[in-house]
Order: sequence, then structure tokens, then C-alpha cells
Amino acid sequence: MKAVLDVLVIGLQNGAIYSLVALGLVLVYKATRVLNFAHGEVGTTAAFVAWVLIVGGDTERGALTPGALWWAAIPAVVVGVLLSMGVSTLIGRLRGSSAVTSLVATVAIALLLVATQLGFFRAQARRFPRFVEGSPCLRGAADGTCARELTIGSIVVSWHTLIILAVLGVTSLLLAAFFRTRWGTALLAMAQDPYAAELQGISVRRMTMLAWGMAGALAAIAGILGAGVFNQLTPGLMLGTFLIPGFTAAVLGGITSMAGAAVGGIVLGITVAAANQIVQSLRWNLPGPPHVAVLLVLMAVLLVRPRGLLGKEA
Amino acid sequence: MRVPQIRGARAGVLVVAGAAALAPLLVPEVFLNVASRAILFGIVGLSINVLIGYTGQVSLGHAAFVGIGAFGAGFAQTEMVLPFPVALVFAGLTGGVAAVVLGGVALRVRGLYLALVTLAYGIFAQEVIFNIRSLTGGGAGMPAPRPSFATGNLAYAYMCLGLLGVAIAFDRRLTSSRAGRAIQALRDDERVAASWGVNVTAYKLLGFVISGAMAGIAGGLLASVEQIVAPLDFAFTLSLTFLLMAVIGGVGSRAGAVVAGVFVASLPTLLDAAHRNIPFPPFSVLNASFSPLVVALLVLIGFLFFPGGFAEVGRTIAGAVRARAARSRAAAAVAVASDPLIDVSVGEGAHAGA
Repeated sequence: MKAVLDVLVIGLQNGAIYSLVALGLVLVYKATRVLNFAHGEVGTTAAFVAWVLIVGGDTERGALTPGALWWAAIPAVVVGVLLSMGVSTLIGRLRGSSAVTSLVATVAIALLLVATQLGFFRAQARRFPRFVEGSPCLRGAADGTCARELTIGSIVVSWHTLIILAVLGVTSLLLAAFFRTRWGTALLAMAQDPYAAELQGISVRRMTMLAWGMAGALAAIAGILGAGVFNQLTPGLMLGTFLIPGFTAAVLGGITSMAGAAVGGIVLGITVAAANQIVQSLRWNLPGPPHVAVLLVLMAVLLVRPRGLLGKEA
Repeated sequence: MRVPQIRGARAGVLVVAGAAALAPLLVPEVFLNVASRAILFGIVGLSINVLIGYTGQVSLGHAAFVGIGAFGAGFAQTEMVLPFPVALVFAGLTGGVAAVVLGGVALRVRGLYLALVTLAYGIFAQEVIFNIRSLTGGGAGMPAPRPSFATGNLAYAYMCLGLLGVAIAFDRRLTSSRAGRAIQALRDDERVAASWGVNVTAYKLLGFVISGAMAGIAGGLLASVEQIVAPLDFAFTLSLTFLLMAVIGGVGSRAGAVVAGVFVASLPTLLDAAHRNIPFPPFSVLNASFSPLVVALLVLIGFLFFPGGFAEVGRTIAGAVRARAARSRAAAAVAVASDPLIDVSVGEGAHAGA
């Protein structure tokens, strides 16, 4: 029973980040039919912006200013939005070329961003803060320390896990509300048929920018929260960790379904955590069970049910 | 006029081959291993070109095939005590097997989704396969000695060059063979190919096997350049570089694939040399660590201005040269046309050339 609860807690925490990444990927795919491999690195770059602000610009000796992430996250998200819009402009220039061309272009941009991060920050892990460190305290001790922390199963639940889940919840609600507004409906109309939408007076260019900009914000948030999970930030972090699970979650949910992306991320997170738990309890000598699980889920979905859980098209 | 042109092309090939044969002699000893790597990246370029250029499948996991081949060769030599040539064949086999797994997926999954699977496969190889201690030696790496007949850096570079020649010859034969044409027919349209009696399943898998085997052999050879393979040598980001390399070369172009491979592998060294010797921007800013940035920028610039890659740039230049030659020949033809003793058909040849 304890093991099940452990799997749920870890699965929900990682799954929520998969969902955040997947939401951005689905938004871009829905709007412009581009699988954006640069998405993760937009997030990592934004996280680096936050980090530079938190250490006060001193990338060599600067200490983490406590609580600075709260305000540093805002310019980081802005950078994420602008960067993503920039990627969109570049991809837009390649319009009319094949889907593979824009895929290769996003790969090139991803590599470009990793190389830029490496150029500025070298291949080195930097300590990265969380919004709130530690975990909620259920009962304080007389000396001011905590006698009993919030524990589910055998896992001490950190504030960070709760914040990630809260962010996913709020983001999902905001997105759901957005798609009921005028702009949201316009975006959906463009996703269905850009030409017909243009005839209705919807600016495809502006809607594309809007979708990519929102995805950039999601990427930045996921990057900041993801770096917080590891408590450290390295160049190419999101590309190597959360991007592929994010894509897998998007495919699992049905690549054009926003709700599917959110659900897919959570389902994948729990699946991966369960796989990890099983391999560990059986004492198999298999390195990286999460990577095996993600690859197997991705292949299984594509081979057995390509339209995913909530997708309407293949 | 046609005959001398063909002779010219053949002479060009001979000149390039001759220059390539002499090149390792001109490379300073310290850069000989870079030269070997560059030559082997040429083979990797050919291998990824088979997949992307001929079968039309995007691969974001090519470093997995190369790495599996490298570890295969190391394992065969160190753990199975096989001689180098046999270990190289073993590397090709492991690379082919690693690729055919993805080929099986590619029978059902296409396009962008396949690219996604290959990327996940690349990360899986890096994080799982390369970390199975008993197969790869873990973080310490697996020794991969050189063959007794090519232990020196120069001798090894020449061996690699010879094998690049074999790979190019194989690739030429492949494209003009029945199998090669069948594979390319699949790229253009699977249904049409099937209606012509092409066995879609078999030839698609064959494309993956050939590409994987070439990558595996290149990996086995790469392993022995430094004589040890470690998991981080074939990180999945290398796959992204390989994909961009194929695009820089010009998808489907044999010469472009080789040139792009050589270029990408030697770029860090070139940038470093320029960084140390040329005191003004951009060279004073760019050092070896910016090499992926340069590659990525080249791809993006290429997409905007030269969608055909190196091959197209080459063709554009060749076309300009040929057009100029044709103009001067046409001018000469005009001059000689007034001479009734000389056949006017020279002018036609010039037009055909242009």
C-alpha cells in the first residue's frame, strides 16, 4: 500500500510537469501543425534567465537570493514568450515547405539554444531554487523545528510538489476559460482551417503568434518548475529530461487535445513511477527504467491507438 | 562535346580521390585523429543519407546506431577476444539490428511521429543501453584497441580513408541496384511502389538495416580512434547534429553527405585554430564549443536561402562555371561558325552543357 502511495506522489509530481510541457506542445501543434522540438529548450533558456537574475548577474560566485524566484520568474516567462514567438517567426518563413523541414528547423533551434546556453554558462550544473523550499509542517516542535512533516506513503511531500500540481490546475482552468473567449474561439477556428478562418476576418499571423507565445509561457513555467525538481540547472536540461515524456504525454492524450495533454501527462507520470518502483523492488539491474517506460508507452500508443486517449484524429 | 565532359567529370573524381589520398600526409601528427574522425563522420553521413535521403525516413536517433556499433566493436574485441576485422563486422551487425527495431516501428508509424520515436530511442540508448555495465563497461568505458596493422595514427587514418572509399563505392552500387531503386521508390510514394511490385515491408527494413550497419561500422572505427568508448561519446544530442549534418550536405546527395560529415567533425578544430590565430570577430569570439551553434545556424540560413544544402551550393557554383564556359564556347562557336571548314555542331554541345 505504501508503495502505491509513493508511486502516486512521485507520479503526480513528474506527471504534472509532463502535462505542462505537453500542453505547450499541443497548443503549437494544434495551431500550426508543427512538432516543436525547440519547446524544451525555450524553457531551459527561460530558467537560465531566472537564474541569472536570482544570482544577481554574477554567474561565477553569485549566491541564490532567497525568495528571488518569485519576481525573477516574471521576466523569465516574458523571455520564454518572446523566444517562442521568435521561433514561430522563423518557422513561418519556411511555410509551404514540408513538415519535415519545419521539424528539422525546430531541431536546429533546439541545438542552437543548447549551444548558446553552453557558451554562456558552460557544461556545469547550477543550483536552482524552488518557489518554496522544504515541505509543509503538520506539527511544530517546541524548538521551532518540525516534528511531523506532511508524509504520504513513505514520501515526504514537498511544497514544490504541491506548487507544481497547483500550477497545473490553475493553468488548465485558465486555458479552458481561454478557449471559451473570442480569441480562443478564433484560435480554434484557425486550427481547423486557416483559410476559412482568414475569410472570417481572423488574422492567422496574429493567432499563430498568440499560440506560440502562450506555449512559450508554458515552456518557461515548466522549465522553472522542472529545474526546481532537480534543484539544479544544466544546459539542455529540458531536452534531456522532460521534452520526450512531454511529447509522449501529448501523443498519449491525442496530439490535438488540450485536455488529453493534461490527462496524458498525469497518466504517463504515474506509469513511469510505477515502472521505476517495480524494477527497483524486483532488484533488476536495469539502468534508467523511466526512459524504458516512456519509450514503450510512446511506441505502444503509436502502434495500437495512434489517436490517443482523447484525440479525434490519427 | 559530350564525351570530353564525361571525361572531365571522371577526371574531377580522380583529382578529388587523389587529393583525399594525399590529405592525411599533410595533416600534422596532432590532428591525425581529428582527420580520422572526420573521415569516419563521412561514413556516418553516408549512413544517415541512406535513411533520410533514400528511404525518406527522418532519424533523430542515429547516434544510437553509431554508439551501439562502437560498443559492439569494443565488446567483441575486449570480451570476446575477436580480431579487429571480425569485431568490425560484429559492429555492423549490432548497428543493423539496432536499426531494424526502429525499421519495424517505421512500418506502422510515419513522418513526424517516427522522428519522435527515434528521438526517444536515442535517449533510451544513451540512458539505458550504454549504461548496462556488463556490455559497455559503465562510466569507465570499454577498451577498443586498433588492429595490429594500423596502430599508428597515420596508418589508422589511411585505413579509415580506405573504408570510406569502400562505403562510397557501396553507396554508388546501391543507388544503381534494383534494391536501391526500390528503396528510393518507397520514399517517393509507397503505394505507387507497391503497385509496381516493390515489397514495401522488405525494402523499408532493408533501408534501415543498411543504414544501421554502415553507422555501426563507422561507430566501431570511431571507437578505436581514441581506443576507448564511453557512454558520453554518443550522447543523444549527437543525433541532432547528425540530422543537421545530413541536411547541410543536401538530402540524397552522396558527395554532400561525405563533405558535410568531414566538415562537421573538423569544425571544432577549425574554429579553435581560427580562434587562436585570427584576432578579429567573428573568429575571436567563436571557439570550439560553439561548433554546434555554427552547424545549427548553417542549417537555418540554408533553409532560408539554399534549401538543397552543400550539394545545391555546389551545383549552383558548377552551374555558373558551366554557364560561363558555355558562353565563352558559344562566343568561340560564333567565331568559328564563320569559318566554313569547322563543324557548327560545337555550338549545340555548348547549349547542351548549359
